[in-house]
Amino acid sequence: MVLFFAVPVALTLVWSVFERTMFWMEPGFTLFAYENFFTSARFENFLNAMVHSAVSVVVCFALGFPVAVFVRRRVPTVAQHRVILLFLLPFMISELIRLFSLRPVLGRTGVVNGVLETVYNAAAGLLNGVHTGLTGRPGPLLDAPFEPLSVILYTPLGVIIGEVLTFLPFMVFAGFLAMEAVQGYVFELCDDLGAGPLRTFFDVVVPLAAPGIFAGAVFVFVNGLGGGLIPDVLGGPGAVNAGLIVLDSITALDFPLAMAISAIMMLTLTLLLYLGHRLFDLTKVLEPIR
Amino acid sequence: MRDDFGNVWAYRAKWTYTLLVVCALMTPVFYTVYVSFNEHGFGAAKYDFTLDWYRVVLGDPQLTRALVWTGYLAGGAVLAAVPMGLLAAKLYKRTRHKVAFVTLMLAPLFVPGDILGSALLVYFKNLNGACERLGDSLGVDWFDGWFELGFATALIGQVLWTLPYAFVVILITMSRYREQQTEAARACGATAWQAFWHVEFPQIRVGVFSACSFVLILSFNEYPRTNLLKGGFDTFTGVLISQMLNTGMSPESYAMGGMVSSVSILVVGSILIFTLARAERLERRLRAQQQPLGSD
Repeated sequence: MVLFFAVPVALTLVWSVFERTMFWMEPGFTLFAYENFFTSARFENFLNAMVHSAVSVVVCFALGFPVAVFVRRRVPTVAQHRVILLFLLPFMISELIRLFSLRPVLGRTGVVNGVLETVYNAAAGLLNGVHTGLTGRPGPLLDAPFEPLSVILYTPLGVIIGEVLTFLPFMVFAGFLAMEAVQGYVFELCDDLGAGPLRTFFDVVVPLAAPGIFAGAVFVFVNGLGGGLIPDVLGGPGAVNAGLIVLDSITALDFPLAMAISAIMMLTLTLLLYLGHRLFDLTKVLEPIR
Repeated sequence: MRDDFGNVWAYRAKWTYTLLVVCALMTPVFYTVYVSFNEHGFGAAKYDFTLDWYRVVLGDPQLTRALVWTGYLAGGAVLAAVPMGLLAAKLYKRTRHKVAFVTLMLAPLFVPGDILGSALLVYFKNLNGACERLGDSLGVDWFDGWFELGFATALIGQVLWTLPYAFVVILITMSRYREQQTEAARACGATAWQAFWHVEFPQIRVGVFSACSFVLILSFNEYPRTNLLKGGFDTFTGVLISQMLNTGMSPESYAMGGMVSSVSILVVGSILIFTLARAERLERRLRAQQQPLGSD
């Protein structure tokens, strides 16, 4: 682990200041790679990708955490793990396959648009029928033919959908582990004290489960930022994130640049984890396996 | 365990929501499998069931070669990562620096594949150079090409990726095991290995087997790290990705996607059924044991 994980990751910092040669790099000290990164469009793309990742984190939390709370609280203890295993199933199927299969689903002739079209046509038919029935002449309502949604694939929105669908199971797991910190009596207590469900959720459950939520959020954020596959497959032209920039610079044989971006990613990750640790004491997440 | 004060319909609505989320996650996969059986491919108006596309995939020598490589890698990853995970979990139980240890073990999960892959790529290249220089200075060529990109480097990348999962899965099953049993076995004169193999292992066997299947599937599906580190051979997912990004989707790619997901579903499904059946059996035995106590 140390030899093949910690050392290479730490060395990215060193390599990032090496000088670029034609096909490789040589020892030296230059901040050219960083300058190259921060003054080019790459930095802008990096920030964009950060925004997308952040949005994905919020959506994942909004969709996934309630599931974790529900399972933890209302499902019988014996069945809890089985329900969580349900979420394991999509995760076990390659991220790749799931992304890849999103293409036909989200595309212009895909499933989502197919369903929308059917609904649209049915609604139009119904409305027009009602109109005809009421007034005796064919209705002008919803006359336009169905226009397939094209904003859900090969756009930033597509990237966010992909990230959410890829990382949602992780959020559910993290939330599930985090809810270990929230005992059942807490809910009863809140009920007895007259707190509504929303208040209970935001003022009591979320702070108690914060370490687990944070770990899940960091996971989603960093992987959303660094997984080059998602924008590659779903993002369309111009969609990039840190992972893709790294891949591209390796293809361009600009190793110092790739290493600089990797180092920036690792620093971001460490910073986030450190902040989280200071704020919430992440070791609490490990309580169940102690 | 329904909330006594709650509304039945709210409870049902929450269940529906949970299942809907699972469905939303799974639909694309099943849709791909569905398309892969269509003779006319994606988007055709007609749907005729056929297995032809699978036959095409399996008849393509390039693809079967990729499949074999993927199989080797997955096997290698299982052989390497599971024993390492087991050792790490045992070490974790003993070590004093639990937080540092677990952070190091789980850290690779938090590093995106492309980033770790490229860091390793540069690392291996440097190591290779260092090995060659060492060999030159010693006048032997024994060190040459140790870290040449290829099967071994790809395997290291995959082990890094799968080890945390194996570690966690084994650790969770191990947490139910009581260390006193090992002590008792040792006190009865068993060697350390006997105590492990005859006393501890049977109790954590489920964890070890699920770790095996986890690693198998993860390795089978892994792309970013393998792609950067594999050197000269193709893996199944690698071929699939390059097809998808370069030549567009063909009915064959759907069949390949279908194959990859059905392998995963089969493995996970059989594991689930096996563990559930086992849990049921254990529960029944437990209940049978408790009965006399209760009737006393």
